[in-house]
Amino acid sequence: MAMPELKTKTQTKVEDDHSSLKGTLASVFVLGCILIITWVSVYFLYLDRL
Amino acid sequence: MRSTTEKMKVDPRDAKLSMAHFYVAFIALALGGLAGLLQVLVRSGNFQLPAPITYYQVLTVHGVLLGLVLTTFFIIGFQFAAMSRTAGTLSNGARKSGWLGFWLMTIGTAMAAAMVLLNKASVLFTFYAPLQAHPIFYGGLTLVVVGSWIGGGAMLTSYVRWRKQNPGKVSPLLSFMVVVNMLLWLVATIGVAATVLLQMLPWSLGLVDTIDVLISRTLFWYFGHPLVYFWLLPAYMCWYVIIPRIIGGKIFSDSLARMSFILFLLFSIPVGFHHQLTEPGIDPAWKFLQVALTFLVVIPSLMTAFSLFGTFEMYGRQKGAKGLFGWLKMLPWGDARFTVPFIGMVTFIPAGAGGMVNASHQMNQVVHNTIWVTGHFHLTLATAVILTFFGISYWLIPHLTGRVLTKKMNKLALIQGCLWAIGMIFMSGAMHAAGLLGAPRRSSFSTYGGSAQATEWIPYQIAQAVGGTILFVAIILVLIIFINLAFFAPKGEQEFPVGEAAETAEKTPLIFENWKLWLGVTVVLILFAYTIPLIDMIQNAPPGQKGFKLW
Repeated sequence: MAMPELKTKTQTKVEDDHSSLKGTLASVFVLGCILIITWVSVYFLYLDRL
Repeated sequence: MRSTTEKMKVDPRDAKLSMAHFYVAFIALALGGLAGLLQVLVRSGNFQLPAPITYYQVLTVHGVLLGLVLTTFFIIGFQFAAMSRTAGTLSNGARKSGWLGFWLMTIGTAMAAAMVLLNKASVLFTFYAPLQAHPIFYGGLTLVVVGSWIGGGAMLTSYVRWRKQNPGKVSPLLSFMVVVNMLLWLVATIGVAATVLLQMLPWSLGLVDTIDVLISRTLFWYFGHPLVYFWLLPAYMCWYVIIPRIIGGKIFSDSLARMSFILFLLFSIPVGFHHQLTEPGIDPAWKFLQVALTFLVVIPSLMTAFSLFGTFEMYGRQKGAKGLFGWLKMLPWGDARFTVPFIGMVTFIPAGAGGMVNASHQMNQVVHNTIWVTGHFHLTLATAVILTFFGISYWLIPHLTGRVLTKKMNKLALIQGCLWAIGMIFMSGAMHAAGLLGAPRRSSFSTYGGSAQATEWIPYQIAQAVGGTILFVAIILVLIIFINLAFFAPKGEQEFPVGEAAETAEKTPLIFENWKLWLGVTVVLILFAYTIPLIDMIQNAPPGQKGFKLW
């Protein structure tokens, strides 16, 4: 009985890895950071020139 | 599931129509690119145009040919091919309308171009009043817009025919996207048609003495911002639908793609004031409202970014990619059909970041009318969009001409994409930097009487000339590839790639095809954002302006 359970677990793990979107999550965070850094940089330039 | 009307190959009669548009587009690229090279050389301070050619004339040629002609002709040509491929061969009536539209657009372009070349219309591509061009220039632009309406109408009838033949079914994604883009265009061009026909033509013909500059600029920007989305959405069509097929993956989500297109339809029009943030005569409260609406366009852009990363990662992981970013290695970097548009996608990240600065109500003062804006525009349109269009043409041209993209041409296309990226890093990067230092856009070389501030800009102008020259070399490569694919490449079958959603995907809801709803919301948002400010502008109109011819 233990064997089929083991097999199911392995399969689930493989599927999880295939459908993992952690790279996508990291990428959108990097993208968000670029947007924020650009905006904040020009914002401080704006404040500096007021 | 493929619909019954979907064809794997574009019908040769439709292919001819698309190719006609591409010939004009690529001639415009050659001439407009040359004008761009001349501009950056003049601005470096080391080159003078031979008389009687003037800087502003060359600037107008560059903007009109690349910003208006190349884009519109490429988009209409691509969209005809996309409709023919996904919604079925065009009906004879639709194809005839397509040709009528093409000829009107071509005659209009020739009229406008002739006036620019005769130095009767050096009004730059935004043709702001009170700069006054020859009436034939405005007449030509009118024909371009009317021609595009007729072409757009032909695409819409193909979609309507598909819906009638397939009741209750979700339309092919690419056809749906074409419909959104043409509806966006039809609604947006009402603004430019109004200012050209009701204000500029009578004024340039001498029927009226003066023009209301504020109304004219407002109508222009009612059109001008959705115009940039009219350019961008065909690139998104490639990113959402075509790239997944090229890499061998699946569309991340059909519904998400449709949703993002609908959001662009809703939010890209009632936002023109963010181009007029320093303009007197518009209440700041209404500017603020349109700024807020502008930031809503960030949502579908971020949805697109997420969806594309998702497509790439899912594909890479299926191929066994490990680690956080291992999937990037699995992508087909040797395939120009993927890599060239991919460079465009990456460029859209800094382009979007810059756009958020431009649209921020007060911060706009830091960059307004500086060459930062030109740098921004060269990342959005002249890289993200245009590199994607080049990427599309590398498979679409041979598909339409019954030829194939050879390994040699693929390699040349990869070099072209890389050269473009390098050239643009120099040129656009220097434009952004000089803009932050206050360098103006749309200005010929000047030391401004030896001003210390203007001296700071000169090294950046030289960097722009270096970048511009590299870009011109890349344009020559594009033209070589285009001519090869159109006339000389070996005969064969080149695929028109159209991606499919994953098998496990949820069924796409039909609400996305409820045009009454979406157009209704679009109109309500436009009326909300523009009615009161327009009444205010008319009631408290600035004095009318006589025309200026500064060339």
